[in-house]
Amino acid sequence: MPEAHRKPEALDGQHYDVVVIGAGMAGMASALRLAMFGKSVLLMEKHYVVGGLNSFFARGGRKFDVGLHAVTNFPPKGARKASPLVRLCRQLRIPFDELSLSPQSFSRIAFPDVDIRFDNEFSFFISEVERLFPSEKDRFQNLLRTMETFDAYSPEVAGDVSARSILNEYLKEPLLIEILLCPTCYYGSAVENDIDFASFVMLFDAIFRQGLARPFDGIRRLLDPVLKKYEELGGKRRMNLGVKRIVTKNDYVERLELENGEQIFASHVISTCGVVETERMLSSPAQDESPYDVGRISILESIAVFKKQPSDFGWEETIVFYNNAEVFSYERPNELTDPNSGVICIPNNYRYPDGKKMPEGQLRVTCLANYDKWVALDEKTYRSQKEICRKAMLDVALGYLPNGKSMAKELEDRTELLDVFSPRTIKKFTGHLDGALYGSPRKSRNGSTRFDNLYLAGADQGYVGIVGAMLGGVAIANNRILRGD
Amino acid sequence: MDKEKVKKIVLDIIAEIAPDEDLTDVKPEIRLRDQLDLDSMDFLDIVMELRKQHGIEVPEAEYRQLESLDSSAEYLFPKFEAKTVV
Repeated sequence: MPEAHRKPEALDGQHYDVVVIGAGMAGMASALRLAMFGKSVLLMEKHYVVGGLNSFFARGGRKFDVGLHAVTNFPPKGARKASPLVRLCRQLRIPFDELSLSPQSFSRIAFPDVDIRFDNEFSFFISEVERLFPSEKDRFQNLLRTMETFDAYSPEVAGDVSARSILNEYLKEPLLIEILLCPTCYYGSAVENDIDFASFVMLFDAIFRQGLARPFDGIRRLLDPVLKKYEELGGKRRMNLGVKRIVTKNDYVERLELENGEQIFASHVISTCGVVETERMLSSPAQDESPYDVGRISILESIAVFKKQPSDFGWEETIVFYNNAEVFSYERPNELTDPNSGVICIPNNYRYPDGKKMPEGQLRVTCLANYDKWVALDEKTYRSQKEICRKAMLDVALGYLPNGKSMAKELEDRTELLDVFSPRTIKKFTGHLDGALYGSPRKSRNGSTRFDNLYLAGADQGYVGIVGAMLGGVAIANNRILRGD
Repeated sequence: MDKEKVKKIVLDIIAEIAPDEDLTDVKPEIRLRDQLDLDSMDFLDIVMELRKQHGIEVPEAEYRQLESLDSSAEYLFPKFEAKTVV
C-alpha cells in the first residue's frame, strides 16, 4: 500500500487508522477489536442509537428491543468452549457471565399437522425429529454429520449454495425440510424461499445445537459492555451523522465526505452499510448493480404489553415459528403483510435467575412485509394499516398458542401498550435499502471490495445472528487489518 | 531474561486472552492447541499482545513457532535478548 497517499499531513485529528461505518453489531465488534490493539478508530453512525437491527427504542416509558427475539448460540453446559458466543466473548475480552444470559424455556415450530418442540438440549430436538419423522432417522443423522464437519464460519466458504437443494439431497420428507427452513430463514435469510447453506448451518447450530437465551434487560446488556470497553480504549464515536460519499482514487479509498460537509481521512475503511448501500456511496460506483441485489425480505413486528404474565394464559413457550400451510413461504408478500406465517416471541419465558419476572407480559409477533407497499402509504393510512395488519397477524398467531383464540378478548382487555414497527422502521435503524432485514442476497464473505483498503462487514458478509454479525466484524478486523500489520 | 521467563510471559498472555482456561498444568513440550482450547484467532491475539506489551514482532509465516511453550521460548528468547541489548 502506498502509505504516502494515505496520510495527508496537517489534518487536525481528521485522520484515523480505521473508520468503521455503521455502529451495528458487526461495526461495534470490529471497532472494539481494532481499538484493543492501539488503532485510532472512528465509529460512525447515521442513526442516534447504536445496535443497528439490534437496537432499542422507548415507548410509553418502556424500553423495547428492535430485532432481538433471542441471543442464539447459547452454549450448552459442558460445551462452553466450542461455542461461537464464547469465542466472541474471548475476542472482545468480555467475560461471558457479564452478558447475564438466561436460557429459553422451550420453543416450537408449528405447521398444520406437526408441532415440534426444542429447547437448549440438542438431543431433545433430535429425538423430536425422530419421533415425528421416524423414516428420516438415518438420513437426518447423515445430514447432522455433514453439517458438523462443515466450517460455516470460514471466510472462504461459498455463500450461494442453496440449503433447500442440499436438504433435498439428504432428506425425503418435504415437510421436515420446510420445518428446518422455517426458523433458519426467519433468523437470517436474505434470499426468498431459501437460505444459503453456510448460513443455514450457522443458524441451525445457533438455534438448535447451541440454544436461545436473553439477558433480562434485553439487548443493552450486550451493547453496553462493548461500547464501554471501546470508549475506555480511546475509540471515537460519532452519532447522528451519516457518511455521504466514499471518495476513491485509483484502487483505494482516499477520504470520506460526511453529511455535514466534513472530510475524514482513514488508512482503512470498514463499511457495514451493506454491499449495495456501500457501492452507492462510492464516488466511482460500479456499473453492474442488478435489481436483484437489493434484499426483498422485510417485516412487520407488533408488540403487545399486557398486565398479566403469559404463563397465566398458559403460554410457557419462548419462541414459536409458525406456518399455516404445508409449504413454507418466505418471500415478499404481494400485500402489505402475510399473516399466514411468522414468529411469536414471548420474552417473559426465558428462565431468568432467581425466578425473576418481567413486570408485564409481552407478546411479539413478526410477519413478512412488503417494503414498497408500506412506503407508498400516506401517514394516515400508514397508521391505520399498521393497526389492521397487527390485528390480522395476532389473530393467526394466537391460533398457535395454547387456547390462544379463546384468550384473545382477555388479552385485548389487559393490553397496556401496543407498538408496531414496519419496513420503514427497519430502514431507519439499519439503513438497508428497501428495509431489507438481512441485507442483500449478494454476500461478500471475506469482506473484499474492489478497493484495497475498503472492506465490508455486517449483514452482507453473510454471518448471521447477533453472534454471527459480531464474529464477522471481528474476522474483518483480524484478517484484513490486524494480521497484515 | 531466560527461557523460563519467556514461557511465563506467553502463559500470562494466554491467561489474559483466555481467562476461562486452566493453565496450572500446561505441559511445555506439548502443543498448546492440544491441551488448551485455543484457535487461530487466539494465536493471533498472542502475537498481537507480544507486540503490544513487549514490542516483539512475529511475522505471520512464523506463527507456528508458537505452537508449544518450549517452541515459543526457543523462538522468542533471541528476540527478547536482542531487545534488552539495545
